[in-house]
Amino acid sequence: MPVLEWGTLIVCGIALLVRVPDALRGRNRVIFGILFLATVCSLLSIPGPYAAIDGALGSWNLTNLILRLIVFAMVFLVGLRLAAGLGAARARRLLIGRAGRWGLAFACLAVTVTFLLMDTRGSSAGLEALSNDGGRNAALAPFYAAAGRSYPAFVSITLLPALLATVRAHLPRLVRTGAAATLAGATAAIASVPASFAPDSWDPARLLVNYLAVLGYVLGVLVFWISGQLARPPYNAPATFRKL
Amino acid sequence: MPLPAKAFQHWLHSVAPAMNTADICRISGVKRTTLAQQLVRGKVAESTLVSISRALGLNPLEGLAGFASYAGLDGPAPPPTPAELVSQVATTDLLRAVIARTAPGDAAILALGPAPHATSVRNWVDAIDDGELRHRVSAATGVAPQNYSAQLTANRLSPELAVATSRAAGVGLTGGLVATGLITEAEAGWLPGARQSAVAALSDGELTVLAGDRLQTLGRTLRRQEQEHAQTEKIWENLG
Repeated sequence: MPVLEWGTLIVCGIALLVRVPDALRGRNRVIFGILFLATVCSLLSIPGPYAAIDGALGSWNLTNLILRLIVFAMVFLVGLRLAAGLGAARARRLLIGRAGRWGLAFACLAVTVTFLLMDTRGSSAGLEALSNDGGRNAALAPFYAAAGRSYPAFVSITLLPALLATVRAHLPRLVRTGAAATLAGATAAIASVPASFAPDSWDPARLLVNYLAVLGYVLGVLVFWISGQLARPPYNAPATFRKL
Repeated sequence: MPLPAKAFQHWLHSVAPAMNTADICRISGVKRTTLAQQLVRGKVAESTLVSISRALGLNPLEGLAGFASYAGLDGPAPPPTPAELVSQVATTDLLRAVIARTAPGDAAILALGPAPHATSVRNWVDAIDDGELRHRVSAATGVAPQNYSAQLTANRLSPELAVATSRAAGVGLTGGLVATGLITEAEAGWLPGARQSAVAALSDGELTVLAGDRLQTLGRTLRRQEQEHAQTEKIWENLG
């Protein structure tokens, strides 16, 4: 589905580019990094760039494994930031506490082991050519996909209550819209785990869920940024005394 | 339900037969596009009629009373109750009244701000509420209680609901229109200085309790706003 792939890449790229000035000033560079990773991920989901990079790495789809690990790093960072921004102390504890560390370690181990067990020769973005080979690959591919989505789903579950509360809270409309977009992304991220085991005929729906997860998170962060920019006085405004 | 456009045009023709729409808009300050849009949609806002009435030197109540949903508005009305009058005094003015009473030998008449104040709608409803008022209004108009409360919180109340609330409470029909700022105290037939007298008639204890209640509500509102502000700032700081 080229529309989804390119659409996601464009949205990530826009969200990244609008942050360049802030990042240069040293403001919220972590978010910039998150969006950079998101852009890299969406780039690697497109067959052309994927084949080019994987070719350089030896054409055994190592790029796909690296992609999964980048996703984990990105999700960890975005989870921490969201937990801090939404004041979700519980989510933060879950993420950096024992549960979060074990979860991350388990997810890393699970993707690496399933990846090594598969016969992964021959570059193909999203490993789509592989899973059709039949035999061991066909059995392992869903587990590899599910393992790659398990940690994002875990992070999304921890953030769900705080996101819901923010959507319902009496806050500026754009802030709530941002939270709603993020909530949609989190829901899609959770739904993508069971979707990994759906039969092949459901492929379009599965792809949609996967891209919705990325799009929801990135759009949410973009809308948070826009709402902040609209509320903030322009940078070159003359100095004024704030009342109250 | 705002005024039906057909009946509105009929009224307009009867009060200003020689004027065209452009003239009406010029003297009343209603924007031409606004009026045109309201006419096209078939629903004219009550505030439009009030502005035009004032510009023509007519009492808006008489104009409104010509419409079926506001029949009886211009009839002989019971005067506003003391509680209604006091509800239209701003919180800061009430606090000033408390201070003025404790100041020795200072009997200066208090100057009050104009009638609709920052929480005038909710204060007015509270002043005439016997505990069941909201249910009766809801039953009479079909407006859900939570929508009614939302309007009060935003210090708004549609003119139709304001009149329905007065009816349900058994008080003069115009009190709510004053509290929402649609018409002035004078247009509603409130005597000049009626609010001052109502405040003066309160005993020290009544005035102090009332001011205290208002201050507490104001404090809660401010605290909530501050919390929401802090929450928003935190989001922007971490994610914006």
